[in-house]
Amino acid sequence: MKYNKGIELPPKFLLIAMTALCIILSIVTYFFRDSLSFLNVITNHTIVPMQNGVTSVSIWIEGKFETLQDIRSLISENEELKQQVDELTYANKIYQEDQYELNRLRDLLELDEKYSDYDKIGARVIAADSNNWFNTFVIDKGSNDGIEVDMNVIAGNGLVGIVTDVSPDYSTVKAITDDTSYVYAMFINTNDLCVVKGDTKEIIDGYINVTNIPKDAEISEGDELVTSHISNKFLEGITIGYVTEITIDSNNLTKTAKLTPVVDFKNLQEVLVITQKKQSVE
Amino acid sequence: MKRIICLGIILILCFVCQTTIFPHFTLAGISPNILLIFVVSFAFMQGKKEGMLLGFFCGLLIDIFFNSVIGINAALYMYIGYLAGYFNAIYYSEIIILPIILITGFDLLYNLVIYIFCFLLRNKLSLVFYIRKLFIPEAVYTMLIGIILYMIFHKINSYLTVKEEGSVE
Repeated sequence: MKYNKGIELPPKFLLIAMTALCIILSIVTYFFRDSLSFLNVITNHTIVPMQNGVTSVSIWIEGKFETLQDIRSLISENEELKQQVDELTYANKIYQEDQYELNRLRDLLELDEKYSDYDKIGARVIAADSNNWFNTFVIDKGSNDGIEVDMNVIAGNGLVGIVTDVSPDYSTVKAITDDTSYVYAMFINTNDLCVVKGDTKEIIDGYINVTNIPKDAEISEGDELVTSHISNKFLEGITIGYVTEITIDSNNLTKTAKLTPVVDFKNLQEVLVITQKKQSVE
Repeated sequence: MKRIICLGIILILCFVCQTTIFPHFTLAGISPNILLIFVVSFAFMQGKKEGMLLGFFCGLLIDIFFNSVIGINAALYMYIGYLAGYFNAIYYSEIIILPIILITGFDLLYNLVIYIFCFLLRNKLSLVFYIRKLFIPEAVYTMLIGIILYMIFHKINSYLTVKEEGSVE
């Protein structure tokens, strides 16, 4: 079998030529990031619709399996929840009164709620990275929906990651669990700064590393970490997770800890993209 | 021509499955690498040139989607396809054990290369941990999926080859 019957190139020359092509491509894309964006446009109209479809089907199938498994536990859970509803309705009444008072006091202090007032876009996770080393994924919203590079991505009430690449109808998100991810964080109760570093080794057990905590920081297990004010990409005050296993480093100047993220990275299906960027927030 | 279209369709199907279905069906948090199975299988059945080209396009797709620098995965998959093509010399269509060994071997090689360039150079030295938690589970899972997929690819390949020979005559 031959592709071109006229000229038959020996594979060795073809290999050298294509290696050169790869090197040129990587140099070009490294320095001029958007120079090959037409490739993204092609995939945008061919592969992304397929990924969209397959993801919906596999989520649907997964859902069906889970329904069958869960039906028993749901019945007993339902009983418990009904009781809880009664208790909570009562508690809620009290909270509503408190909330009213809180709002009034907030108005007096002219404080705003922190990230409930950022504009957000909902997006669905349609594809995940093809190898097990890194943790990036693709969402089904792109520049047509107003997504830009460096926008923060959250799910539920925790930080998921940051948009690294945008195409017309999809964009790539690097999760904070990725091995090359760094986030400046802050302990919410002591304001001590630290760095949250993703690590392939730790995330297998469900943790993220926290390093560079000052040695004299008065922190304890279970403290909440939020994004800090000194990052230039991450908005301030988004919950990342809760720390455990605090140890003092061998240099005796800093502490290291592990962080349990609030987001369930294994079953991530829907995320919210905050459409305000750090630079544009006043 | 028919062959190119068929292989293109299989490549896209493999890529879509790899990125959408398999992340939902992981074993111990690890998903298999079916693009590698695809490249190694066809390189083994058809030789260096086809392996190389398929590898290049597989890698290119991954780069477009997941990397900001295009060309690195393309080169890596291309070399895997080229190396696997060397084993075309000992290809017999009845034997299935050899391609399975190849698939497993190249999966380990692929992970080793990624480890060396992306982790070892950033001073992440715990190779034993990665071997235990990442290399071996992925190789085993890829091997199991590889047995099924190789048989399918083999059927498709012999179908395409028969068609071509028929059309030449």
